[in-house]
Amino acid sequence: MKASPFLGPLLVLPALGVILLLFVWPLLYSLVGAFVTGEGWGLGNFAKTVELYRSDILFTFLIVGLSTLLIAVFAVAIGGYLVLGSNPRAQAILRWLYRWPLFIPFIVAGQLMRTFLAKNGLLNGMLVEAGLLTPLQTLSFLDWRGIVIAFVWKQTPFVALLVAGAMAGLDRSMFEAARNLGASRLRILVEIVVPQVMQTLLVGLILSFVIMLSVLSVPLMINAQTPTMITANMAFRINAYGDYGVANALGVISYLMAGAVAWIYLRYAVRERMEQR
Amino acid sequence: MPSEAFLDIDRVAVRYGSTPVLHDLSLAVGRGELVALLGSSGCGKTTLLRTIAGFLSPTSGRLRIGERDITRLAPDRRDMAMVFQSYALWPHMSVAQNIGYGLKLRRLDRAAIRAKVEDLLAMLGLAGLGERNVTALSGGQRQRVALGRALAVDPEILLLDEPLSNLDARIRQTVRHEIRALQRRLGITAIHVTHDREEAMVMADRIVILDAGRIAQAGPPERIYNQPASPFVADFMGADNSVTLEADLDGASVVIAAGADHAAARLARDLLPTANTLPGQGTFSLRAFFRGEAAALVAADEAVTGDETEALLLTGRVLAVSYPGGVWRHEVAIGERHFLVDDATCHAPGDAVAVRLPARHLFLFPADGTTKPRGG
Repeated sequence: MKASPFLGPLLVLPALGVILLLFVWPLLYSLVGAFVTGEGWGLGNFAKTVELYRSDILFTFLIVGLSTLLIAVFAVAIGGYLVLGSNPRAQAILRWLYRWPLFIPFIVAGQLMRTFLAKNGLLNGMLVEAGLLTPLQTLSFLDWRGIVIAFVWKQTPFVALLVAGAMAGLDRSMFEAARNLGASRLRILVEIVVPQVMQTLLVGLILSFVIMLSVLSVPLMINAQTPTMITANMAFRINAYGDYGVANALGVISYLMAGAVAWIYLRYAVRERMEQR
Repeated sequence: MPSEAFLDIDRVAVRYGSTPVLHDLSLAVGRGELVALLGSSGCGKTTLLRTIAGFLSPTSGRLRIGERDITRLAPDRRDMAMVFQSYALWPHMSVAQNIGYGLKLRRLDRAAIRAKVEDLLAMLGLAGLGERNVTALSGGQRQRVALGRALAVDPEILLLDEPLSNLDARIRQTVRHEIRALQRRLGITAIHVTHDREEAMVMADRIVILDAGRIAQAGPPERIYNQPASPFVADFMGADNSVTLEADLDGASVVIAAGADHAAARLARDLLPTANTLPGQGTFSLRAFFRGEAAALVAADEAVTGDETEALLLTGRVLAVSYPGGVWRHEVAIGERHFLVDDATCHAPGDAVAVRLPARHLFLFPADGTTKPRGG
């Protein structure tokens, strides 16, 4: 039976339609919308955005950037312990435990962190009970620190899962060869293991960066003050003022941030590929 | 056997969980000696090497280098360097970085590292490849980089874990000799794990045959080959044809009665390589092991009188003949069994022939329970 030359495109069409309709169209719409002001085309929305939300944009970038760095450190530490650790029981427990936050939605993570990090929360309660703090010295962590803790707690398992998988795929005798020559575990992790899983680590971190950039629930729940993250500002512009122009401009700025890290990754990937040749 | 042990393995036992892998194994290796650990997969040879390297801890027993007890020392404190079967080169580093890594760990300055790496590259025939990525090298070159990385730290003992098994046959032949020559030149002590009989024969000063976690036999290659200590060793070293015989033993000779598939023979004990494994007196069932290439074919009617003191004759019939080059290869049916025997003259299929097994190449062992299972 000879397939019709139109069959292939026809089969692709539904998927393509969904992407065009639900992704490309809204993306273009919001991109264009960022440049539409009350007086026609212009950069008015961006001027207003910079004037009102300059510190929030910086805040967002720093929070997400810091979280990404911490996620990298924890994910590498978890993956490293799973491949290089010497205590099989501790490894088994860690392997079982570390994935749990993956199954918890951001909004639940936010709620957990509220009860954990508040001035009268579980963390301070434990510190007081342990005699490390007096009740008068307790501080609420429900500010930028709370957001970072929630993000790192929620996203580390995701990156650790990818990284640990890549590490487990490496030839174990590569670690033994290094140990045989006198490298400590930490050096093996930093000099032998991490460089070989760098691609996977970067992919995980970029995906995390983009996900964290788009989370609304956590900043709303944990950080009800200014400066805050631009997702909260976007929601506010739309809900309080119906101001889609500034919200779109904030959206474009977060595209740019996501685009910048993707660009860094692509440059790295291309360079890697050139070196492999 | 070296008079003075340099590496002394003293009644070492190793288990994986509850499974014993090495049973109170003792072995002494002399300084500058190349010892091959030979055995089929699962015999414990790699376990022994990894125990020596310090990647596994023995449950009992001691390891010593000279006077120094190294049983509980970390792998890098033992003055040993290992070459891995997979080479275990680090693909994100250049050739020079791979070789120089151990020196970097020892905090040598850059110039000293570069000089040492250049020396090694030249010695290993890799000059000019220092900046190359290891993934861009051929198998033989990678193998030499792995060797260079191990030699860079000037180890007292070089551990080789099947270093040639990933090379194709032609390169393997030359690399064998290269490694052997290098080891001689540097005077380094080496322990070489392999499952390749010929590789062990060509490279080693001494071969240690392991079977199920125990040493089946240890000795120079020619002794292992010509005087196997057990049916297992005989079989493993290529004497994998065997027949069962009934024999009367006395102090000086082994008298074999004529059977359905063999002629009578009276072989002097001092002609038999394995005479010391035979009981002194009495009637016994024996198993004779021989190599196909040690046998010769004679036409059934050409048997020489008096030959029965020199050789055992198995009587049979030629089933098929082929010419692999140099000699004719005959498939000969003897009783229920078929043997491949090479001979310079061609015997036609259907001919009655005798397979002549010279006493010097006949390995006789008691056929009772002391026979070890094949493989292992």
